[in-house]
Amino acid sequence: MKNQILSIVQPALAGVALLGLWYAAKAVFELPSFILPSPDEILVAAWDERSTLMAAAMVTMRGAILGFLAAVGVGFLLAMALGFSPRIKASFYPYILVLQMMPVTILAPVFVLWLGQGLPSIVAITFMIGFFPVVANTTMGFISVDRNLRELLLMCKATRAQEIRYLRIPGAMPYFLTGVKIAGTLAPIGAIVGDFLAGSATGGVGGIGYMTISYFSQLKTPALFATGMVACVIGFGFVGSVNLLHWRLLHSWHDSMVKKE
Amino acid sequence: MCVLPLVTLERVEKRFGAGPLVLDGINLQVTRGEFVSFIGPSGCGKSTLLRLIAGLTNATNGGIVIDGMTPENARELMFFVFQDANLMPWRRVAENVELPLILRGDPSARRRERVQHMLEIVGLGAAADKFPWQLSGGMRMRVSIARALSVAPEILLLDEPFGALDEMTRDKLNEDLLAIRARDPFTGFFVTHSVTEAVYLSTRIVVLSANPGRVSAVIDVPFAYPRPPELRETPGFLQLLAHTARALRTARN
Repeated sequence: MKNQILSIVQPALAGVALLGLWYAAKAVFELPSFILPSPDEILVAAWDERSTLMAAAMVTMRGAILGFLAAVGVGFLLAMALGFSPRIKASFYPYILVLQMMPVTILAPVFVLWLGQGLPSIVAITFMIGFFPVVANTTMGFISVDRNLRELLLMCKATRAQEIRYLRIPGAMPYFLTGVKIAGTLAPIGAIVGDFLAGSATGGVGGIGYMTISYFSQLKTPALFATGMVACVIGFGFVGSVNLLHWRLLHSWHDSMVKKE
Repeated sequence: MCVLPLVTLERVEKRFGAGPLVLDGINLQVTRGEFVSFIGPSGCGKSTLLRLIAGLTNATNGGIVIDGMTPENARELMFFVFQDANLMPWRRVAENVELPLILRGDPSARRRERVQHMLEIVGLGAAADKFPWQLSGGMRMRVSIARALSVAPEILLLDEPFGALDEMTRDKLNEDLLAIRARDPFTGFFVTHSVTEAVYLSTRIVVLSANPGRVSAVIDVPFAYPRPPELRETPGFLQLLAHTARALRTARN
């Protein structure tokens, strides 16, 4: 109980201190609002721009979710191919690494050329950022199967398909979900960066990344900071949902979740 | 009367890769209904011998015939109880016991009935919905045995199943294993470090010497089944215990 109170009071106090520092810096260095807006100005800007920001958040969420699902789905299937055939892994893994090493800033214009400005490119960029951790972790999971359990299935004369269904996939689940968690952290960032690099305002409004550019060019600095605030909320929402999924699937049995007295 | 052996090992040799000989010239004939223990110093290849019979590894030389078949083809007749319980951590107790039945394609109604029956036999009827981590080591081993027996194997191979358990739990599980065998008879192969366990459970004890593993002595255990727990305190039992311990010491030197 005491710890619970502390866990709320401590960050609250630290927050107040940081806000104080913020206001103090603004006052001492006489910073104008277009350089450093005060927190209350940011909140006011967020309220004034609420409909634009909400719409932008929706656009970003859509890109993040679609890109995340693509990364998880394609990542899982790719990991299956890599994990079950050493030959496929030896042949293709280096090129997956090459793809991973390729900076998004270089891929973005290519995607725009192929897919045009807007959602498809944003999804592609989010996918590119998120799929590697899924592939790397899940492949590791498929490869590192408990030897004794394999022998158990051997004694049961299990077929290859049964081995995959009853041993490989459940055994790889913790690894896969670790990859999913990382992809979930990266997806909102991917969508915002994608929007920043390849976003468009056709059909009404751009995403958070697009609005960042727009507010910056108009020197609406408080609103620019407000986009950051919205991005944080989206990020927390995303990571929270993914963590919940992780917990739901593993809490009953996995060592990392199980409480031992 | 001539009883055909169920399991025959003839001049079996085993070597891993280019390594030294692990097992050398193992001859053994086991008839249906026997319970044979392998005992010997560490590194004598007793676990390897069990794995050879199970077909989990192949003999370098010599032949193993199980009911007229190679070990690999005879898997249907056998089940293996591993050193640690070797349960799937993501499956509940009942689901773990059910797995071999699922894999061989039993219909679900029969599976459920069989699982319930097996769990009751090993005294874990109430733990069906628990996960393995919620059980003690002894309980996990019971689940493992229930799983092995769910398919009613003709031959049960047990690789030091009770090695990690305390003596009291081990004694209890020994008694339970005998009770289970009285109801669902199987031919048993049992690897152990414990002389008491070997004498209490077996019809025959094969003492192996190390480097390479060779049969050093074969001891017949004359006690009739059912064997009550108190058998372990009788003079006859203690005498055989001493005899087996001596044979083990000889094998070590």
